[in-house]
Amino acid sequence: MKKKGLILGIIIISIIVGVAASVSSSNVESYDIDMTRTHGSISTAMGSPILGDPDAPVTIVEFGDYQCHQCHNWFLDTKPMIMRDYIETGKVNLVFVDFAFLGRDSPKAAEATYCADDQNKYWEYHDSLYTAQESKIDNGWANSERLKAFAFNLNLDMDLFNECLDSGKYSKRVQYNSQEARDNGVRGTPGFFIIGPDFKQYPIGGAQPFSVFQRVLDTMI
Amino acid sequence: MLKILKLVFSNLLFSILSLIIFSSMMTVLLFISEFIFFEPFFVTHIPSGSELGFSLIVILSILSALVIPMNLFRITHLKNSKQKIGGSIFGSIVGSVAGACSCGPIGFAVISTFGSIGATATAFLTNYEIPIRIIAIVILVITYFTTIKSLKTECQVNF
Repeated sequence: MKKKGLILGIIIISIIVGVAASVSSSNVESYDIDMTRTHGSISTAMGSPILGDPDAPVTIVEFGDYQCHQCHNWFLDTKPMIMRDYIETGKVNLVFVDFAFLGRDSPKAAEATYCADDQNKYWEYHDSLYTAQESKIDNGWANSERLKAFAFNLNLDMDLFNECLDSGKYSKRVQYNSQEARDNGVRGTPGFFIIGPDFKQYPIGGAQPFSVFQRVLDTMI
Repeated sequence: MLKILKLVFSNLLFSILSLIIFSSMMTVLLFISEFIFFEPFFVTHIPSGSELGFSLIVILSILSALVIPMNLFRITHLKNSKQKIGGSIFGSIVGSVAGACSCGPIGFAVISTFGSIGATATAFLTNYEIPIRIIAIVILVITYFTTIKSLKTECQVNF
């Protein structure tokens, strides 16, 4: 009787351990992120890696959509000067947080950037999306095939990238970021918050010119 | 043509109306299309590659400021049909709506309120912003010339 009980106990424990092991290996996604990372009132934990010096006194948080043509304008007209005068000099750093609301290809494009981040090429991929952006929303320029082509051009490991993109590994991360935008009152893209050393945050809406950022940043540094 | 314009806009009321239509339409459209910003500072900005969009807004505002007062003149002074003012207002609205949605607050509000239908409508208005504005300008130009023509005929009869 005792022997039967022992065998039954071993079988039950084996089943529980087996089920637990299979659940943990199939459903839980893990990515190396600092969940406590915040800038002002904004949780940037699920956003991009920090561009520039992480210890810079001022942070620009950009909320953007890869299909937004105003974001494209800002990327081409204003960002290069911010890079040159503030980010490359260590005065400011920048975090990009997805606000993917414009079309059906927007969330997938945002997810693709994190798949590139798995191979340490977030910013290269981010830049290639904005550089290649076409003026028409959802016309196919950011569909899965094109997103994979952008990855191929950056010499990413395509097996890893395709598996990541097709599985929707980062879909919840992008949803979280878009919700973070809404929670912080962002009502369009691009939307910016400039967070100073005293943690005061300064909102700037739209693809504003460099002169505006310059005036705000110079008062904070 | 100049005589007709002089006739309508020599009336101070119609000149002021024209000025109000032009300035308000220009301001609203330039603001929506992110050519001007009021916060945190007032600033004007024409990004490279957006010159055509800017020019179309200026043309649209000028035409609306000409055509709408001229048709109101026809209605109030000559007690004539309201048919052409419909065309001018339609042209102005169509031209204004194009590009207004895109990624700014209006587009966000439309998509948030109407979901996927709103997203489709927004995408259409953004993708075809320039052709829609050109169509609106064509409608206003046609309305302008037909209004001039009918004012010429009607004024000869009435005065």
